Amino acid sequence: MNYSQILIDHFRRPRNAGMMRHPDGVGEESFDGCGDLARFYLRVVDGRVAEVRFQTYGCGPTIAASSAGTELASGRPVTELLTLGEAEITEAVDGLPAERAHAAQVVAGALRAAARDSLTRRGSPSQAKESEHV
Amino acid sequence: MSRRVYLDHNASTPVHPDVVAAMLPYFQERFGNPSSVHTFGREARDGMEVARGRMSDFLRVSKEEIVFTSGGTESDNLAVKGVALARGGGHIVTSQIEHHAVLRACQFLEGQGFEVTYLPVDGDGLVSPDDVRRAIRPDTILVTIMHANSEVGTIQPVEAIGPMVRERGIPFHVDAVQTFGKVPVDLARFGIDLLSFSSHKIYGPKGVAGLYIRKGTKMVAVQHGGEHERRRRAGTENVAGIVGFGRAVEIRGREMEAEAARLTGLRHRFWAGVSASVPEVRLNGHPTRRLPGTLNMCFRHVESESVVLGLDLKGVAVSAGSACTSGSVEPSYVLVAMGVPVDWAMGSVRASLGRGTTEADIDYVLEVLSPLVRRIRELSPASVA
Ligand SMILES: Cc1ncc(COP(=O)(O)O)c(C=O)c1O
Repeated sequence: MNYSQILIDHFRRPRNAGMMRHPDGVGEESFDGCGDLARFYLRVVDGRVAEVRFQTYGCGPTIAASSAGTELASGRPVTELLTLGEAEITEAVDGLPAERAHAAQVVAGALRAAARDSLTRRGSPSQAKESEHV
Repeated sequence: MSRRVYLDHNASTPVHPDVVAAMLPYFQERFGNPSSVHTFGREARDGMEVARGRMSDFLRVSKEEIVFTSGGTESDNLAVKGVALARGGGHIVTSQIEHHAVLRACQFLEGQGFEVTYLPVDGDGLVSPDDVRRAIRPDTILVTIMHANSEVGTIQPVEAIGPMVRERGIPFHVDAVQTFGKVPVDLARFGIDLLSFSSHKIYGPKGVAGLYIRKGTKMVAVQHGGEHERRRRAGTENVAGIVGFGRAVEIRGREMEAEAARLTGLRHRFWAGVSASVPEVRLNGHPTRRLPGTLNMCFRHVESESVVLGLDLKGVAVSAGSACTSGSVEPSYVLVAMGVPVDWAMGSVRASLGRGTTEADIDYVLEVLSPLVRRIRELSPASVA
């Protein structure tokens, strides 16, 4: 399989890997018929992504795309992430082989879910804040 | 990353230098068509017949019983379809863990009205001879069971299956692509009527293989054309490839035994190292009835392809058990048939050792494998769940 240098670099040195305690939003996506699963955690300040972390089970491209996804999301307005498409993720790893297109789907889907989750919670910010600390 | 370690010999092997040397004259000097009557043709034919003699010596059969084909896949197709189509209908017994060359040939025959029983295997990957006996019906026309499985390396009890099948007068085909030239194959004792064997798994060139067809076995050709290979397989033979294959077999005859012992030792070293340094790992396949150089293991909560990629980046070539095709990753059908739970099966990795593998290679792989698996596990949501 031919992978880009950028993809390989993300696989070798994943950025922002690991769990986040008390996030403002969490989202997951798994791929149909395939065990791949990506989970993203967002910390949101003033409507923008202040911190993002991922946990992923999957093949090399899915891990790399998750790492690239965190860089894409970082600093962006959360509302923008609601419409994040897989094309943007694919581009961020400098392309994916056709048989590995699912990597971008899983990552884009999980980031959108995390954004939705944070906006839902924001509906009652004070409550969310408090419940986090119990 | 200058170090390169090839641990995928079950997929293919490097051509032995003596094999290359034996083949070279057959491209430009002795390039004739072996069917031609002139000197050029005779030279090519002579080379090919020497190779056929090496096959028949090695297998202890007669030269007339060896047919050359374009690969293990063609040999399997010729054996299965050739026997079946000669009967026109009936029942076939095979196993769930055959190579696709046999499985899909059987599925094709089902479409033509044949019936097929796909026998299950136990947790070690073994077909039970009793199951074979019970599956045989009055209309059974063929039993086809592989000698060793390429993924997990388990060696089937063909020595118990063959004689029982022979007693019932049913042809017995064995796909020996993974065992030929690696472990002894005793055709007479195993009661084998048809045997598939291939060149590129034993340091010969790709695209050439053989099918042993015991004298008197009723079958038809699958590929039609000229009178080649006693009308059993039409098409001008791959002379250079066959010559190389002959030399490869001759070398295996000398090296096989010592090599099997050496590879068994290396495999033990590898597994001992992995099981000592990586938690949550299991060995797949039978503990002793197995190919000397084949190690198949599952890393729990790790997806095989990420290990393959990680090792590749360190110069190490192994193969993934789960195959990702067009976006859906499926655990290996062999491991599923063996009852390996899916969360383990998704993380299966096969290392197949060969002639060039050294102790230092194994130690290097051990050094890079355990941090790699740890790192991938740390990324996984399952590690905290
Ligand atoms: C058991 C078995 N049968 C058949 C084949 C097919 O052989 P070939 O690659 O020569 O077509 C293989 C190759 O992987 C194999 O392992």
